[in-house]
Amino acid sequence: MSEKKKVAAIGRRDFFKKAGLGAGAVGVAAVGLAADATKAAEPAKSGPGGRGYQETAHVKKYYELARF
Amino acid sequence: MLAETGRKAELAHAAASLKLAEEDLVRAHWYGLLGAVLRAAPDRARLDRLAALVGDETEFGQGVAALADAARAALAAGPETLEREHFDLFIGVGRGELLPYGSYYLAGFLYEKPLARLRADMRRLGIARAQGVHEPEDHIAAVMEMMSGLITGAFGHAADLATQQQFFAAHLGSWAPRFFEDLEAATAAGFYKSVGRIGRQFMAIEAEAFEMTA
Repeated sequence: MSEKKKVAAIGRRDFFKKAGLGAGAVGVAAVGLAADATKAAEPAKSGPGGRGYQETAHVKKYYELARF
Repeated sequence: MLAETGRKAELAHAAASLKLAEEDLVRAHWYGLLGAVLRAAPDRARLDRLAALVGDETEFGQGVAALADAARAALAAGPETLEREHFDLFIGVGRGELLPYGSYYLAGFLYEKPLARLRADMRRLGIARAQGVHEPEDHIAAVMEMMSGLITGAFGHAADLATQQQFFAAHLGSWAPRFFEDLEAATAAGFYKSVGRIGRQFMAIEAEAFEMTA
């Protein structure tokens, strides 16, 4: 990451912390996210960028880690 | 003290596993959470989890505390009350008190150009409407879910900030703040008043953060 981007990234992180969305206010992370069975959006099956909806390891991991 | 340390560690671990910055994981969580409770009245299990939220002294933190209070009240009132509230607000007989669609807020009618623009962006970003979903894609719940997925990479790969900002500006920033204000003020809103408040606050934080990267 370029220096400029690094500085910008730190700015964002600090901003979110001050605003109440930092690691301290982790109520949501503790609550987590649940894989919502009624999800309205999913990866496109075809077309640019879409490789078919494969429940990739990455997506699965997110839903495991996230339980709201 | 120990519980808080545990939660911080859990967040750090989760973010590292997903190759996301911690603040981006928290953002994605809020987009997903708001999308989920707007889509359907939260069930008991979800309300229990919401009731366990802890807010800090920031304005947003106070909104979190209010959401937790509202969840406790909803638990006490029983599931039918909350389901009725969701129905009256968003579905109704013919229509609910609110029409939570981008086209409605931006163009005055459903199925308008804002929906066409969203569909075009969805195609470009590799997002499709899930099977069995009947509402137009510019429903607030769907757009919130899309934003969450763009951050985490659920639709293929994690979107960079510029992409997220474009999507936010076109499909959320332009109308969602007003929607959340309307939700906070809606006659039928009880639990959802707190959702309106936290949604409004979250949109303002997101808009300001995107300004920083402009």
